[in-house]
Amino acid sequence: MDYSTKFANALKKYDFSFFGTLSIIFLVGIVNLYSATHASNESSIANLYKVQIVWFFLSMAIGVGISFVNPRNFFRFSYIIYLGCIAMLLAVLALGHVGMGAQRWLGFGSIKFQPSELSKIAVVLVLGRWFVRNNYEHELSLSDMVIPLILTAIPMLLVVVQPDLGTGLLILLIFSVIAFYKKLKWRSIVVVVLLAMLTGGVVYKFGLKEYQRQRILTFIDPTADARGFGYNAIQSKIAIGSGQFWGKGFKKSSQASLSYLPENHTDFIFSIYNEEHGLTGSLLLIFLYIVLLFRFLWLAGTVSNLYDSIIVIGFMSIFFWHTFINMSMVMGLLPIVGIPLPLMSYGGSSLLTFFTCAGMATSISNSRNLF
Amino acid sequence: MFNQEDLVKSHKPRADLLGNMVVFAFAVVLARLWYLQIYRGDLLYRFSLENRLRKENVEAPRGLIFSRNNDLLVFNTPRFDAVLVPQYISNEEQTIAKLSQILSMNPAEIKKILQKSSRQAQYLPITIKKNISHTEVAIIETEHSKIPGISVQTFIGRDYADKEIGGHLFGYISEISQQQLPKYINRDKIKYKQGDFIGQSGIEEQFDKYLRGVDGYLFMEVDAMGALKRLIRDDALFQGIDNKPAISGNNMRLTIDREMQTTAYNALEGKAGSVVAIDVNSGEILAMVARPSFDPSKFSMSLSSDYWSSLVSDDKNPLRDRSIQEHYPPGSTFKTITAIAALEEGLINESTTVACNGTFKLGKRVFHCWKKHGHGVVDIHRAIKESCDVFFYKIGTMLDINILAKYANMMGFGRRSGITLSNERNGLIPTREWKVQKNGQEWQLGETLMSVIGQSYVLVTTLQMAQAYAIIANGNSLYRPHLVKEIFSNDGRILAKFGAEKVAEVKLSEKTLRLVRDGLYGVVNERSGTAWWFKGSGIRMSGKTGTAQVIRMSAEKLFAKCEESDYKSRNHGLFVAYAPKDDPQIAVASIIEHGCHGSSAAAPIVRDVITTYMKKYRPEQMEKYIAEERAEQARLRKAMAAENKTETAPVDGPDDE
Repeated sequence: MDYSTKFANALKKYDFSFFGTLSIIFLVGIVNLYSATHASNESSIANLYKVQIVWFFLSMAIGVGISFVNPRNFFRFSYIIYLGCIAMLLAVLALGHVGMGAQRWLGFGSIKFQPSELSKIAVVLVLGRWFVRNNYEHELSLSDMVIPLILTAIPMLLVVVQPDLGTGLLILLIFSVIAFYKKLKWRSIVVVVLLAMLTGGVVYKFGLKEYQRQRILTFIDPTADARGFGYNAIQSKIAIGSGQFWGKGFKKSSQASLSYLPENHTDFIFSIYNEEHGLTGSLLLIFLYIVLLFRFLWLAGTVSNLYDSIIVIGFMSIFFWHTFINMSMVMGLLPIVGIPLPLMSYGGSSLLTFFTCAGMATSISNSRNLF
Repeated sequence: MFNQEDLVKSHKPRADLLGNMVVFAFAVVLARLWYLQIYRGDLLYRFSLENRLRKENVEAPRGLIFSRNNDLLVFNTPRFDAVLVPQYISNEEQTIAKLSQILSMNPAEIKKILQKSSRQAQYLPITIKKNISHTEVAIIETEHSKIPGISVQTFIGRDYADKEIGGHLFGYISEISQQQLPKYINRDKIKYKQGDFIGQSGIEEQFDKYLRGVDGYLFMEVDAMGALKRLIRDDALFQGIDNKPAISGNNMRLTIDREMQTTAYNALEGKAGSVVAIDVNSGEILAMVARPSFDPSKFSMSLSSDYWSSLVSDDKNPLRDRSIQEHYPPGSTFKTITAIAALEEGLINESTTVACNGTFKLGKRVFHCWKKHGHGVVDIHRAIKESCDVFFYKIGTMLDINILAKYANMMGFGRRSGITLSNERNGLIPTREWKVQKNGQEWQLGETLMSVIGQSYVLVTTLQMAQAYAIIANGNSLYRPHLVKEIFSNDGRILAKFGAEKVAEVKLSEKTLRLVRDGLYGVVNERSGTAWWFKGSGIRMSGKTGTAQVIRMSAEKLFAKCEESDYKSRNHGLFVAYAPKDDPQIAVASIIEHGCHGSSAAAPIVRDVITTYMKKYRPEQMEKYIAEERAEQARLRKAMAAENKTETAPVDGPDDE
C-alpha cells in the first residue's frame, strides 16, 4: 500500500462524530459568547470571543493529536498520568501558599493551566485501570469500593483545599457514575444514597447556623458574594424567562448589555443564550448535548475491552455533570457553584479538557476495527 | 485483556440505565425551562424590559459622639443629592439643559460629570449635585416625569455641633479614594466600596471601625422611569433574596468638655496656636483646640472646591493640628525641667545663688539674660519666678546634656504621647549621640547652655508640655493622654471603657517638688513673677511663661520690640500651668506661634480655660479662693495705709521675658 491509500483508509475509518458534535456546539457557543460580550465597555471582555477561538483551535489540535494515540497507551500510562496530576496539584498548593488565597493555576511561561481540570480525566483513567486489573465478574460490594474511593479522594481533596469545592464534588460525581456502571450492588447504592442524604441533610439543617450555611456556599465559590447570590440567581431567572418561546434574538439580551448579570460570559452564559433564543434555542442545544452523551454511551457498549468501555463512560459523565449542573444552577435549581457549560462558557482550560476527552474517545472508536 | 466483548456486554443494563438517567435529567431541565419561559414568561419578559428589580444600598448611620457631659457634638443629618440614571435618558441634550436650569449649574459641567461616569453600568445612578436645597428637592420631585432618570437620593451627612471648634480633634469623613480602597480593604478586612465614607483624620479616622455601621440593602421594584414603586416582599419568584437592614455604628463618649473647648477656641481668636487641657490625675484630655481650624461638616455634606482650595492654599495650613502635629522650641517653660534635673542630681539646692548682671560669659561667647541689666543675686525660687536666664546658664555648665535628656524623657518629652490621633510629632530632646549621628559633630557646651533654657535643638508639642506639667502637679505619674471615656452601642451596651493608664512612675523627691512648685506659684502669684498680670481670680494657678526664639538674633535685635519685627521672625509665646495650687486638677498648655511673649499671648488663654474649669467643676472652691484673695487684698491695703505707703504699680505693664 502506498502512503496516500494508507492515509485514505485511515481517514475512512476515522470517527468524526465526537469532534463534529463538539464543533457544532462550539459554533453555537462562540456566536452566543460574542453576543453576550460585544457590548461590554471593557475591551478585554469584548475581545474574549477571539481568545476563545484561539483556544478552540489549540484544543482541537491537541484533541486530534490524542486521537492518533493507540488507546493501549491510555491504559499503560494511567498511573503515570494520575501521579503526574497529583504532583501538579501539590505544586499548585505550594505556590498557592506563597501567593496567599485561592490558587488554581499553574503557569508554564505565559500559558496558564488548571491541573484541577486534568484531574477529572486522570481519575477516570486510574479508576478504569483499577477496575480492569481487579477484574471482578460479580457485582461489586462496598468493600470493593475502598481503594477506588481512596484513588478518587486524593486528587479530590487536593482540589477542595485550593479551594474549589465545585470541581471536587464533580470528581466525586464522576466516580459515582463509574462505580454505578461497574455494577455496584443495588443494595449498596441504596445504603450509600440514604446515608449521604441523611448525614448531609441533618448536618445542613440542624448542625449549621445560617451564616455557616452561607459560608459553605461562599466556600464552594469564593468569588461569589454569598449574600448577593440570590440577586444573581433572580437576574438569571429573569433573563431565561424573558426569552419565552422564540427568544429576543441575536444580540438582543438586555440583561447582558446592561450588565445586570455578572459573569455572564462564564457561569451565566446559558441565561444569555435563553434570553436571546428562548425555549426553541434550548431544545436545539439540549438535543446536541444528548446526541453527544449518547454517542459516548453507544461507544462504551461496542468496544472490545472493558478498560475502554469504562473510561468512555467516565468521559460521558464529565460532559453530563458539567452540562446538567450548570443548567440547573442558572435556573435556580442548584446553588451557584462555578461549573462551566461545556463548549458554551468562556474558558480555555475547560475547552482543552473536553477536547482531550473527545480525542481519547475518537482514538478508542477508531481502534475498534483494527483488531 | 482483549476480547472482553462478553464482559463489556454484561454492563449493558447499567449503560441503559445511565442513558435513562441522562434523559430524565434533561427532562427536568426542560420542565424548568418551560416553567420559566412559558408559564412565567410574560411576567419575566416585562421585568427584563423594565429592569424593574433594583438592589439599593442602605447606608448605615455613623455613631454619635458626645462630650464628657453628654452634649451631642457629632451627629448625622440628611443630605439630598440630585442623581441621574443614564439608562432612562431619552434626550441627553434636553435633559442636561433642564437640569442646569433646576440646579443652576453650567451645562458643560453636567456633561463632564456624565462623561466621567460613562463607563459604569447604565442603571447605576450618577450624582449630579450634592447637598441640594429643599427648593431644588421639591422641583425635582414635581418635574420627575418630564425629566426621565432624574431623582433625589437621600444620604446621611455628618454634622459637627461646634463646626470649626475642635475640627482637628474630630477630624472629617469623606469618600474613600481610589488609592485607599484596595489598601483599606486589605487592612481592615471590611468590604469597602466606591462611594463609602470613611474617617480621614482625627477621632473619625482613629475610631472609624467603631463609628461606622454596616450598610444594608433593599430590593425594590421600580417603574420604567426608575422611580420607586414598591418594596419587594414575597413572591414565589423572589425566593432566595432578602432585604438586609443597615446596622448603625457605635457611639462614643469623649473626655472633652464642650465649654472648655469653646473658651479655648474663642481665646485663640486671630491667633495661630493651640491649647491642650489635661486632667492631671487621669490623663483625660478636657480640651484640645488649634487655630486656624476648618469646618469638618463641609467635608461630608458637599465639599466645594473653593473651600478645599482655601484650606490647602492658606500658608497657615488650617488642616494641621497644632496641638500635636507641630512642635516648637519650648523656651523658658523648659527651665522647670532643667531645675528638676539640677535639683534631683544635687547640682543645686535651695541656697544656691547666682549673681545675674544681664550677661554670662563662656569663653569668648556672651550669653544674654532676657532682662538687659540683670536680676541681681537670684536663688532657685526667683530664677523660676522671674525666669532668670543667667541662673540657668550656670546650671548648664554643670549639667550634662544627656542627664537633662534623661529627665526630659522621663517627663514624656522626645516621644509620642500615645494619644489615639494620627501624625503626632515626637518633638526632640537632643543628646550627644543624637548630634553625632545627625551631623557628625561633637556636642558643644554652648549648646547645653541654650538647651537648658529650651532653645537650641529642643522641640516639644503643646500636648507634651501639658503632660509634663501634669506630672509636677500630681507629683509622680505620667499618664497616657486619652480622649475617649467609653464606646457604647445603640442599646446602651458599653463596648469599651478607657480609664487612666499610667505609663510611668516619675520619682521626684518631695524637696524638688516643693521648690519647683513654689517657683511656679510665684510666677503667677508674686508681684515680680512673669505672669503676675494674668493670674486671674479664684483659680490659684501655678505656671511658667516661655518666649521661644524662632531665629537666632543679635543682641540689639534681642531687645528690640517684638511686635515691630515681621511676623515670621517673631518669637513664639508659651504658657503652661496647673491649678488649683494645693489640690491640682488640671494642667493647661498653650503655644501661640509668633505670639511674641508667653505672658501676654498665651497666659490669658490658659487662665480663661482654667477659669471655665473651676467655675464648672469646683465652684465652691473657687468662691472660697476669691473670698481669701479679697481678704488678703484688704489686709494688704490696711497694712499699707498703716505704714502710710502708697502702692506704685509698674507703669510698663506686664514684664517682658
